[in-house]
Amino acid sequence: MSPIDRRMFYHVNWRLAGLLAALFAIGVLNLYSASGVRLGEGVQMENYYQKQFIWGAIGFLGMVLFMIFDYRRLHSAAWPLYAVTLLLLLAVPLVGKTVLGARRWIDFGLFNFQPSELAKFTVLLLGARLLSGGSEKLNLKELGSVLALGFLPAILIIKQPDLGTGMLVLLLLGGLVLFRGIQPWLFRTLCVLVPLVMPLFWFVLKDYQKRRILSFLDPATDPLGSGYHILQSEIAVGSGRLFGKGFLGGTQSQLRFLPEKHTDFAVAVFGEEWGFFGMIVLLSLFCGFLYQIAAVARDAKDPYGSYLAAGVFFYFFWQTLINMGMVMGLVPVVGVPLPFISYGGSATIVNFCLVGLVLNVSMRRYLFKQT
Amino acid sequence: MKNLLSASSQNMPKHGAALLQFLVLGLFCLFAIRLWYLQIHLGEVFTDKSRNNQLRIEYLFAPRGFLRDRNGELLAVNEPAFALGLVREDCEDIPATLEKVAELTDIPLERLKEIYARNKPKVKSFEPLVLAPDLTFDTIAKIEGVSVRWPGLEILSRTRRKYNYGHLLSHVLGYVSEANEAEMQADPTLSLGDFVGKQGLENRLDDRLRGTKGKRLIEVDVTGRRLSEEQQGEPKAGQETFLSIDLGLQQLGHRLLEGKSGAVVVMDPDSGEVHALVSEPSYDSNMFTNGLSSAQWAQLRDDPLHPLQNRATQSVYPPGSVFKLVIAAAALHYGLVDPKETVNCSGEVALGSHVFRCWKHSGHGAVNFQRALVESCDVYFYRLGMKLGVDRMSAFAKAAGFGTPTGIDLPHEKGGLIASKEWKLKRFGVRWTKGEDLNMSIGQGYTVTSPLQVARYIGAVINGGRLMRPALIKGEQPQVTGQLPLTQEQADTVKRAMVATVEDPRGTCHRVLTPGVVVGAKTGSAQVVRLTEELRRLGDNVPYRFRDHAWMAGFGEQGNKRFVVVAMVEHGLHGASGAGPVVKAMLNALFMGKRELPPQDVAGAAEPAASPAARLEAVETQFPEPPQPLPPAFVEPPRQEVTPE
Repeated sequence: MSPIDRRMFYHVNWRLAGLLAALFAIGVLNLYSASGVRLGEGVQMENYYQKQFIWGAIGFLGMVLFMIFDYRRLHSAAWPLYAVTLLLLLAVPLVGKTVLGARRWIDFGLFNFQPSELAKFTVLLLGARLLSGGSEKLNLKELGSVLALGFLPAILIIKQPDLGTGMLVLLLLGGLVLFRGIQPWLFRTLCVLVPLVMPLFWFVLKDYQKRRILSFLDPATDPLGSGYHILQSEIAVGSGRLFGKGFLGGTQSQLRFLPEKHTDFAVAVFGEEWGFFGMIVLLSLFCGFLYQIAAVARDAKDPYGSYLAAGVFFYFFWQTLINMGMVMGLVPVVGVPLPFISYGGSATIVNFCLVGLVLNVSMRRYLFKQT
Repeated sequence: MKNLLSASSQNMPKHGAALLQFLVLGLFCLFAIRLWYLQIHLGEVFTDKSRNNQLRIEYLFAPRGFLRDRNGELLAVNEPAFALGLVREDCEDIPATLEKVAELTDIPLERLKEIYARNKPKVKSFEPLVLAPDLTFDTIAKIEGVSVRWPGLEILSRTRRKYNYGHLLSHVLGYVSEANEAEMQADPTLSLGDFVGKQGLENRLDDRLRGTKGKRLIEVDVTGRRLSEEQQGEPKAGQETFLSIDLGLQQLGHRLLEGKSGAVVVMDPDSGEVHALVSEPSYDSNMFTNGLSSAQWAQLRDDPLHPLQNRATQSVYPPGSVFKLVIAAAALHYGLVDPKETVNCSGEVALGSHVFRCWKHSGHGAVNFQRALVESCDVYFYRLGMKLGVDRMSAFAKAAGFGTPTGIDLPHEKGGLIASKEWKLKRFGVRWTKGEDLNMSIGQGYTVTSPLQVARYIGAVINGGRLMRPALIKGEQPQVTGQLPLTQEQADTVKRAMVATVEDPRGTCHRVLTPGVVVGAKTGSAQVVRLTEELRRLGDNVPYRFRDHAWMAGFGEQGNKRFVVVAMVEHGLHGASGAGPVVKAMLNALFMGKRELPPQDVAGAAEPAASPAARLEAVETQFPEPPQPLPPAFVEPPRQEVTPE
C-alpha cells in the first residue's frame, strides 16, 4: 500500500487542524506583545514571535511527516525507543550541559537536545502499546508493571531537576491507565494510598521546589521571593478585567513585572491584554481542541490508535491544566509551558508532531484492517 | 508483562471516551469560574495593584516662603545645601558602603549605622536615605571622586533655611527642622528630610510658608527605571511674608538688653502690630536647621538663663507698680475714687496686726489720684485696694486682658494669673485675706503678667479702650479682642496721669521725657522674694537672684504716630533705672530716628561669657557699685540714676 492514499486527504480532521492553527496564531500574536519591552526611549522588541513562527513552520513539517506513515508501525518501535531514552537520560548527568542550575541538555554539536522531551513521547508510545493489549480492566500486576516502566524515566527527569516534565510523564501514564479503567477495588485502594505516599515526595524535592509549593500555599509570606511569580501573574490576569488593557497595552508585561512572560506565564500576558472575554475565547479554543482529540480517541479504528490519541489528549490536557492553573494561582509554580502559547522550540515541534499523530489516527479511521 | 504484550488487540475502552469529555468540561468550568473570580470579582483590586506596580508618586520641592521685616529686609531665606543619600536598591554592599561613608565624612560608623537603621523603615524603595544632612564642598568632592565605585551613593541637592539674623529674631521666627515621624504621618506630602516649622512664626505660619509641593507621576518598570513622567501640579513656593517687626528697632532692643535677661515690646496701639519683640538671652535659629547634637540641645535646655524662653510672651512676672495703672482704672470704673480727692500718706497702713509700708517710708503726705500715680504712692493704692476688694480688682483686670493670652501668632503663649477668692480657695484651700487685697493693689501677690499683656493694656488706655490682638504680620486687618470698661474721660484721666509721671520732675518716669513727644509711662519694681531684714540692709547689693524685676510701661505720641513701649528687665532692681533707659532709647529711635545706643548705663555688659554659669556670674556683677540717688535730669542722663520706689 502506498503510504499516501488519496482518499485519506479527504478524511483529514479539518476541525482539529483549524483549532490548532487558531491556537498557534493566537500564540504568535501574544508573543509579539510579550516581546515588547518599554524602555525610557521607547519600546524595544525582542524577536520571540519570529522565532516561534519558524518553530511552528518546522513543527508543521514534522506534523505532515507524522501523518504520512501508518501509525500502527509505531507499535513495534516502542521498546527500542524506550531503551534509547533511558540511555540518554542516564547520560545527562554525565555529559549534560548545565543551564541555570539544571542539567537537562545534551549537546550534539549542531543542536542541544533535551532527552526529557523524548521521554514524554516514548512513554506515550509504550503506554499505548501496553494498555491497548488487555481485555479487562487492569489488575494490580498489570498496573504495577506499567507504572514501574513510567517511574524509571520520571525519577531520572525529576533528578535533573525538572519537576514539571517528570510529573508530566507520570500524569500522562496515569491518564492512560484511567482511560483504560482499573479494577474498582484497586481504584478505591489507590484513592487512599496515593495521598499517603505523596508526602514522601517532599524529601525528593529540591529546596527551590519546596519553596515554590510553600509560597503557593501562602503567596503573601514572601511577596518578593517565591510568591512573586504567583502574585504578579494574578495581578496581570486580574487587572485585565472584562475586556483587558488592549493589545500591547499590558503594563505588567511591558514593564516586566510579570516574570517569564514569554514562556510559562505567556497566557497571563494574554489575560491582561484581552481580559475575561479574551480568556474565555482562548479557553474555549483549548477545550474544543481537546474535545476533538477525545473524539478521535473515541472513533479510532483500533484500540492502539485510540490509546495513542488518548495519550496525546492527556499530554495536552495536563499541560493546559497545570500551566493555566499556575497562572491563575490554582497550582504551585512548576515549569510547564502552555502548548502553542508559550515560547519554546522543541516543545512547539513536539506539539505539532503529536497533533500530526492524532490526525494520522483520525484519517485512517475508515481504512479496513490490513494486517 | 508478557500477557500484556501478547494480548489480543480487539478491546476498545468502554468508558474512556466519556472520561475524556468529562475532563474537558471540568477544565472549562474550573478555569471559567476562576477567571470570573480574578478578572471580574477582584478585577478592581488587581487593577489597583497593577497601578501600584507601575506608578510612583514623586513630590516636587516647593521653596519655603521668605520672611522680611516691615521695611523689606530679608530675615529668613533658603540657601542650597547638599546632603548625602543612599539608594539601597542600587547599593551592592550596604555595610561596606557605610564604612566608606564614615571614612569620607568623618561621621563615626556607629552613628551612621544608627541613622541608617532609624531611617530605613521610613524610606520608600528607590528613594534615597539621607545619611548626612550637610556636606562641605571638600566632602562632596571626595564623594564624587569615588561615586563610580560605590553605587547607591547620591549627592542630594536641597535647600536649607537660613536666618540672616539668627540671634536677633529667634523668639519671633522660631526655627524649622526636619519633619518627624508623626508629622509625616499627618501629611503624606511630607517626605524624609523636609523641613517644617517647629517654633515661633515658622510654626504658626507653616501652612502658608511651606507652599504646595508639585506632584509627578512616574511610570517605572520592575527595576525602578523611569519610563515616563506626568506632571500633576506645579510646585507652588511658600508665600513671602512681611512681618510687622522693624529690624532696626529689634536690633536696638537686642543690644540694649545684651547680657541681661528681659523683654522689650514695641506695639502700635491702633493696629496691634508689634514693631519689636525682644527677648534676651536668645539663641541662634540656624542651630536647629541641621539638627542639634544632643550636647548642644542639653546646653540650650539647661542654661540657667533659659535662652529658649520668649520672655515677652512665655514668661510671666509680677507686674509690681505697673499694675497700679489697672487698679487706678478699676477704681474709676467702679466710681470709688474722685480724682481730686486726696489721701494722706504717712508711709504706712496698718491692717490688723500687720503694717503695710509705702516704698517711701517717710510718706508722701497728701496725694490725689494723679500724684499717687506720678510718685507711685503705695498707701494710696492700699486704700483703693481695700475699697475695691479682690473680686472687683480681678474682674476689671480680666476685662483689661490680664489672665488670658493675647492671641499673638506665637506658640505656647502664657496668660498669666489674676487671682480671685474662688481661685485661692480652690488652689490652696485657704480663704482670701484682707491683706492680700493690699498686695494685689500694688501688683504683688499672686498676680503675674507677661510684658505683652501689659503692652496691650497700655495700648487700650490710649486708643479708646480697644484691646488689640498683637499682630506680627504687616498690614493684616487689625483684630479687636475686647473693650476696656472705661469711658473716654476715665481713660484720659489715666493717660494724663501717665504723662504727668514723665513730665513732673518728681515723677518716677521723668528720665524718659523726650522732647517733642508726648510720653506717658509707669514704672514697676516687682519683688521676687519677700525681703528679709538682712536682705533689705544690703540695699542694692542684694544678690542677683533676689533683686527686683524692673518694669517700665509707657507710650509716646507725636501727631498721628503713637507707640506703646514696654520693657522688663529681670532683676533689674529699679523700674526707672533698670528698664527706663531701654524705653527711652526705644522712644528716641521711634520718634527721633536715633538708632544708636544710649549712654553706657545700660549697655555696660561685657562679652557674654562662654559657659552658662560664667554668664550668670557676669550678669550678677554688672552693678559693681550701689547706685547713688541723684536729682533727675533729662539733657544729660547721669551715669547712675535711680528713682527709687
